[in-house]
Amino acid sequence: MDYLVAVLLPQLLHGFVFGAALGLLALGLTVIFGLLGVMNFAHGELYMLGAYAGIVVIGVTQSFWVALVVAPILVGVLGALTEATMLRPLYRREPLYGLILTFGLALVLREGARQVWGGDMRRIPAPFTGSTPLLGMTYPDYRIFLLAISCALLLAIWLFFTRTRAGVLVRAAVQDAEMLDGLGVDVRRLFTLTFAGSAALAALAGLLLAPVFTVYPQMGVEMILLAFIVVILGGMGSLGGSVVAAFVIGIAQSLFSLWMNPQRVAIAIFGIMIVVLIVRPRGFFGREGVLE
Amino acid sequence: MSRTLGWRAAPVFAALAALPAVPGMTDYYLLLAFDALLFGAVAMSLDLLIGYTGLVSFGHAAFFGLGAYATAILLERGILSLWASLGFAVVIVGLYALVVSYFATARRGIYFALLTLVFAEVVFTFFRYTQTFGGSDGIQGVPPPELLPGVTLDTPMRNYYLIVVYLALAWAACRVLVGSHFGKVLVAIRENEDRARFLGYNVQRYKMAACMISALLTGLGGALYPGRAAFATPDLLLWTVSGEFIIMVMIGGLGTLTGPVIGGAFFIVLQEKVSSYVDWYFIVIGAVLILIVLFMPKGLLGLRRLLGARPWRATA
Amino acid sequence: MKRVTSLALLVAVALAVFLAAPAVAQQKVVKIGDLGSKVGVFEGYGKYQSMGIQLAVEEINAKGGVLGHKIEVIAEDDDTKPAPAVRKAEKLILQDGVKLIIGAVSSGSTMAVMDVTKKYKTIHWNSVSCAEFMRTTKFHKYYFSNQPDSRQQANGLAKYILDKMGKKVYIFYTDYAMGQSDGRQFKTALERLGGEVVGVAGAPLDTKDFSPWFGAINASGADVLFLAFAGTDSLRLMTQLHSFGMTKKYKLAGIDCFLLQQDLAAIAEPMEGFVQLNHFSAYNPDPNMQAFNQKFKKKFGVDANIAAGAYDAVYFWKTAVEKAGSFDSDKVSAAHEGLCTDATHIGRQCIRTEDHQVVMDMHLYRVEKGKNIPIARIDGKDAIGAAMVGQDPLKGFTWEIKKK
Repeated sequence: MDYLVAVLLPQLLHGFVFGAALGLLALGLTVIFGLLGVMNFAHGELYMLGAYAGIVVIGVTQSFWVALVVAPILVGVLGALTEATMLRPLYRREPLYGLILTFGLALVLREGARQVWGGDMRRIPAPFTGSTPLLGMTYPDYRIFLLAISCALLLAIWLFFTRTRAGVLVRAAVQDAEMLDGLGVDVRRLFTLTFAGSAALAALAGLLLAPVFTVYPQMGVEMILLAFIVVILGGMGSLGGSVVAAFVIGIAQSLFSLWMNPQRVAIAIFGIMIVVLIVRPRGFFGREGVLE
Repeated sequence: MSRTLGWRAAPVFAALAALPAVPGMTDYYLLLAFDALLFGAVAMSLDLLIGYTGLVSFGHAAFFGLGAYATAILLERGILSLWASLGFAVVIVGLYALVVSYFATARRGIYFALLTLVFAEVVFTFFRYTQTFGGSDGIQGVPPPELLPGVTLDTPMRNYYLIVVYLALAWAACRVLVGSHFGKVLVAIRENEDRARFLGYNVQRYKMAACMISALLTGLGGALYPGRAAFATPDLLLWTVSGEFIIMVMIGGLGTLTGPVIGGAFFIVLQEKVSSYVDWYFIVIGAVLILIVLFMPKGLLGLRRLLGARPWRATA
Repeated sequence: MKRVTSLALLVAVALAVFLAAPAVAQQKVVKIGDLGSKVGVFEGYGKYQSMGIQLAVEEINAKGGVLGHKIEVIAEDDDTKPAPAVRKAEKLILQDGVKLIIGAVSSGSTMAVMDVTKKYKTIHWNSVSCAEFMRTTKFHKYYFSNQPDSRQQANGLAKYILDKMGKKVYIFYTDYAMGQSDGRQFKTALERLGGEVVGVAGAPLDTKDFSPWFGAINASGADVLFLAFAGTDSLRLMTQLHSFGMTKKYKLAGIDCFLLQQDLAAIAEPMEGFVQLNHFSAYNPDPNMQAFNQKFKKKFGVDANIAAGAYDAVYFWKTAVEKAGSFDSDKVSAAHEGLCTDATHIGRQCIRTEDHQVVMDMHLYRVEKGKNIPIARIDGKDAIGAAMVGQDPLKGFTWEIKKK
């Protein structure tokens, strides 16, 4: 019982916080995948740019909260431009071109950020620094806030997709874009806006996590692999699946590192994924036949 | 077509063989040529999979790295025969490729890419943390291998000729394969997998075979690497290295075999030369990749058509 | 006709350039190579290495160079990976004909480059990387170092921790070459001196969230946390430890790669009270060091840090070359052994003959209000440890904890 309260519960909490963060990152990735069939390798760099944009906005306005609104918009605009100029010409081609193009884009953005802001690590101070006694330890308030806002965002996104016309349209486009086009919906604009939204979400995740995870040009490339795993586990294109998978990965990583050395933790995480892919290739909630 | 191309390649290989005799050729340029041709050959093996079969592997670094580790492990333990290490590499890479290709070829497109990526990450993690194989430092400072007892591959010149021979053999193998019935089936699978299946071909078996051949050629290339570099480190297995292999194929031109060889050599020389002058060469490489995907999906070889040469691909 | 003229003109110009070239290069030139990480996690270290080399070379050239040769530096980036490091080292030696290579920054690269410098018999100085294999199993005749390796640093720090900070220590390390090496050597040193290691844990390189390890640390009953991290990991770890209130709960200590001087300002509050070993710090009160730092700051506008130790490496090499009277590697290597020079950043230092390691004093600092306050100086002879050329430094080592 003591073990449960003193060790397992805190570990679960750590896992939840990390899982929520991962969920925000993976959600944008899975929407883009479902809609455009592009596995966006540059998603991690959009996440990174969100944090740097945040630093710039905070530098001008001195406010974390303003940055939380403005930085995702800036990155969202960049996302829209990227989609319109680079990805749109590729939709008629095989998905692998999108994969490779975004890989190149990731190189450019990462190195560009390093040229502009330098390779040194930056830190964004958390907007509040207190801590709360929780489960026998002093738990930082910002992490509690992070968990709360991530869950709120995930809920809001779910409501958006189920309760708003725009959300329903996006989901319809995931199902069958041509049909939607035939029904007179401007699918091109829908694609651009969705990509912008996905980029903004990545940027938001980058900025929200910056006070905990710090900011540097390679921060995205290190997260993207985990985000890929989450998307695959959850079932490509499945929103709910991604969220569930994010929590599974976050908690698994947290619990495993209690009992295993880092090597085994990493292999265990990859192992989970390989097993899922073999036993249930479409992931937890993926629809049958999507790009299998 | 394949026969004429075969004859046309002869002067190219003759020129490569004569390269060390060029005045002003230094040991450094021979070593650079070694890397350029080695990674060219690796890109060519990958092209067999991407260009001809339509399967994008994001895990080829694992085949290359496993081959390198196989050689380094033997050399470190005093087994110096090149043939032993090549044999060992074939066994190790072959076993691993069998598992990967069995599971990965059951899936298409993105799933294939990501499965190969994740399998490769497992191999990376294994070597990265296993102290028996040097952990994150890898195996370093291995002695040069012996071609025959007493004939040590210890000079840049000998290593260079070794890689020219490897490239020639790999190229010939790929050519024959692509020109054969087997190669035609692969192209048919790339163009329309379902149709190939309806025609009665066991599609997965063909895909697995292509994957295995590509993996083994890459692994053999990897096995030749420690003889020149004296090490095998986990960095060779990183998924970004797999990404670089794909870049090489794309630069050269998908489904052309010759193109990726040029692409690989171009990439190595570009990286080596540009990084000596500017520290933002990754922007150059990334931009080159984006421009090629957007405007020159046929790669550098595609340029030939612009210049009025004959169409370069007869197989598709 | 026009074409012939222009062709002739071209040939004439080419000939003129060809003939003029030796005339321009009146003074004889000797090249040295600066190999380091100019991009990536360790670029901070690579940049300071280049600055250190540049400063030394300018001073030496202003005084007439070495053996009548002007020194020319050729800088190369190894991308913090062994494969490019080897290629660049070969380029420097075979193509540029450098007589000295300084580098690399990461231990993995440095060890890979050691094979190249051994093969091509080139003098090789390491001023940054600190794995324990370089002066033991990987050692070769042409290799020299003025970076204290993990063993030296652990010897320096373990005694202070036991005397002044606490007996029960938890070792938390970054699970790759540098961190493992630091963790191992520290555990060995601490246990030899009678301290108790109450727990060890490794976190992978580039860990985002360290909190899953905090539970075990809190359950261990430690007084002191020994942290073997570097670069961005250190900053992130300190931020997170602080937010969980653990920087106040434990006494913290680390070795000299833990945090570069210029990063301290960003996390001054979490670092309060941190004891860091540093063999090269702008806060060293030594008058020679202060004079050096003034010089450095005047030129580059920033304080020097550990990577600027490459400055000393250039001077050691120059002194050895002058003693040998030649650039011949074997002669220069022999001249290095037992060599002392007054030209280093901190005055007189000597190279030990047995393992080519510079005997250097270790300095301990405690962070107070974002400043490094010197608290102890450990004599170089006490820290350096026995020469173990060819012996496995890990023999008999185990991560297992001896229960008391």
